[in-house]
Amino acid sequence: MDLGLRGKKAIVTGATKGIGRAIVELLAQEGADIGLCARTEEEVAAAVREISGRGVHVVGEAVNVRDGEAYKAWLERTVAALGGCDIFIPNVSAGGGMDSEKNWVKAFEVDVLHTVRGCETLMPHLEKGGAGSIVIIASTNAVETFGGPMAYNAMKAALITYSKQLSQFVGKKGVRVNAVSPGPIYFEGGAWEMIKGTMPKMYEWAMKQFPGGKMGAPEEVARVVAFIASPAGSLVTGANVVADNGFTKRVQF
Amino acid sequence: MGSEEDFNKRSQTPAYTPVRRVQPHESPETPTEKHPDPELGTGMIDARRYTSAQFMQWEWERLWTKVWLLGARLLDIPEPGDYVVTEIGRESILIVRQADATVRAFYNVCQHRGNRLRDCGLGTTGEARSFTCAYHHWEYELDGSYRRIPDIDTFPQGRPKRGLREVACDTWGGFVWYTLNEKPEPLREFLGPIPKHLDPYNFDRMVQTRDITVEWNCNWKTSVDAFNESYHVQGIHPQLLWYLHDLDIQIDCYERHSRYLIPFGTLSPRVRRPPSIPEPIKSIMKGAGMDPADYDGPIGNIRTDVQKHKRVQGKAQGRDYSRLNDDQLTDDYHYLIFPNLSLNVHADDFWIFRQRPHPSDPDRMFYDILTYELVPEGAEWPERAKHRKWSHGDKSIGTVLDQDAANLPGVQAGMHSAGFPGLWIGRQELRIRHFHKVIDDYIYGAAGRPPGAP
Repeated sequence: MDLGLRGKKAIVTGATKGIGRAIVELLAQEGADIGLCARTEEEVAAAVREISGRGVHVVGEAVNVRDGEAYKAWLERTVAALGGCDIFIPNVSAGGGMDSEKNWVKAFEVDVLHTVRGCETLMPHLEKGGAGSIVIIASTNAVETFGGPMAYNAMKAALITYSKQLSQFVGKKGVRVNAVSPGPIYFEGGAWEMIKGTMPKMYEWAMKQFPGGKMGAPEEVARVVAFIASPAGSLVTGANVVADNGFTKRVQF
Repeated sequence: MGSEEDFNKRSQTPAYTPVRRVQPHESPETPTEKHPDPELGTGMIDARRYTSAQFMQWEWERLWTKVWLLGARLLDIPEPGDYVVTEIGRESILIVRQADATVRAFYNVCQHRGNRLRDCGLGTTGEARSFTCAYHHWEYELDGSYRRIPDIDTFPQGRPKRGLREVACDTWGGFVWYTLNEKPEPLREFLGPIPKHLDPYNFDRMVQTRDITVEWNCNWKTSVDAFNESYHVQGIHPQLLWYLHDLDIQIDCYERHSRYLIPFGTLSPRVRRPPSIPEPIKSIMKGAGMDPADYDGPIGNIRTDVQKHKRVQGKAQGRDYSRLNDDQLTDDYHYLIFPNLSLNVHADDFWIFRQRPHPSDPDRMFYDILTYELVPEGAEWPERAKHRKWSHGDKSIGTVLDQDAANLPGVQAGMHSAGFPGLWIGRQELRIRHFHKVIDDYIYGAAGRPPGAP
């Protein structure tokens, strides 16, 4: 199946490691040009260098998405550099934590606002190509109780609601909007590697929740995201696609 | 069989950038200079030292009865007549606050028929201000002299010459130290550089938060060894790799005692930088009054940012850090006060792990956990923790110590094996080598260990 990604311009936030990195690797492999950001200069430079090896146009900068103005300016620069934007994948997250109410402020600014600002800033460009697609990275933490009443979980839920309603709002302009909710995903330098090391009991509990006994890998999430983001996924909009290898137990009618 | 090349690739120490450390001139009191490493060779440490009854006997005669030992905390015996009974090997020692506020120590044994006067632990003589033996009611003053011997006229030989047999004691660091040595060197001489290193912490402002004794199924030295190196962190404490730097450690071996300085609040180079601040490092930030949710810097800056924060905020939190250097505000200054005190010293708390030999079995020991926490100025002084005692593995003593405890019986069992000649010690374990060298100084004297001896 040809996903139709060749020549498409994709912007992905938080793309030097883990799920974000796997997404840009796969999109680049499928022939899409890539604009990416992350917090650390050297890691961005390394990612740009490595992904460029796939023969597509790759640009990247170190950006703190909490800084709204700097972030929006980066988005515009990236659109200019790529010559447009067909796919937007907001992936950066503040992560979990129940330290103080500042977790809520941080999760709101990072997870929610960066997604909203990105969608609004890029919408004119996404409309232009006629097959614009947004895939918001949410989490199964939004749909089932996990790890305590964390801001992370509630903000991911906000993103799922936002993505559905945005999809109705911009559908007439030919832009599709979806959420993908990964379950626990294991990768080197990821949260679950740290949990395995620092909280082995929690890790063992999580492993027992997968009917197939396997935690997901970033590449598996990336394949789901790439399909939905691509013209091949033309029928899918307003969906929350759960990619969790059976981690969650609810029936999703 | 794998190739030598594969072995080397799998086995190399990871590369790392050294952490920032205070320079010697930046430390108000505690010296931070690296002490030159002693030349101790690379020889094997004989496993029989951990299992032999003969060696254990030598330790008693030549070491335990010669060194200074931690006996009691002065804050535990504030009033005349307050006392602590502490045990070492077969001996039980009674440490008593005197009428003139000084402290004296005695063998805890009635001179009549040898009965123990008091049980192990804390107590007070109350109004009586005397010790009466439960057996025939021989009664002793706080200074060990006789107050009353019932029916003294029925002892034609009179009373034993001396009252309670006294042992030498002295104080430092808010603790009473005693020695069974009849001709001891002064305590200060024995402690060497330790008071200069640790006085700035002001242990007197700390309240005891744990007072636990666990009987462990290993030799006392098996336990001392476990706390004398950080090489085992990557083995049995993997969670600490997201908490401390287990490779960039400064080791200093002094004449008898030793220390290492472990950077806390930072990642080990053995693990990758995680996407969020590890929970154990968050706990350090919270302890300093920082909100991890409000921290936007890279994880690698947390250690020095915590130091800066404590330096600025300490006063307002009732915590006087003026005598400590910046590294002392985050790091573990870990000391071995020879022979048996492993100390984790921090600005806001310190832990003593005291290893005591079993009276008769080289395969057993007593592990005392004595922890103390700084009480902020103006805060109410909490009640000290009650003493508790149990056997190996009966109850949790916290994740890290449980991991150590679970490991030690297997190590001790291996010491008995015909397939194990002795300990193969690396550079990260230099303090173990030094510890055994100091033991040799006591056991074998100036002549050194004879060939073939354990």
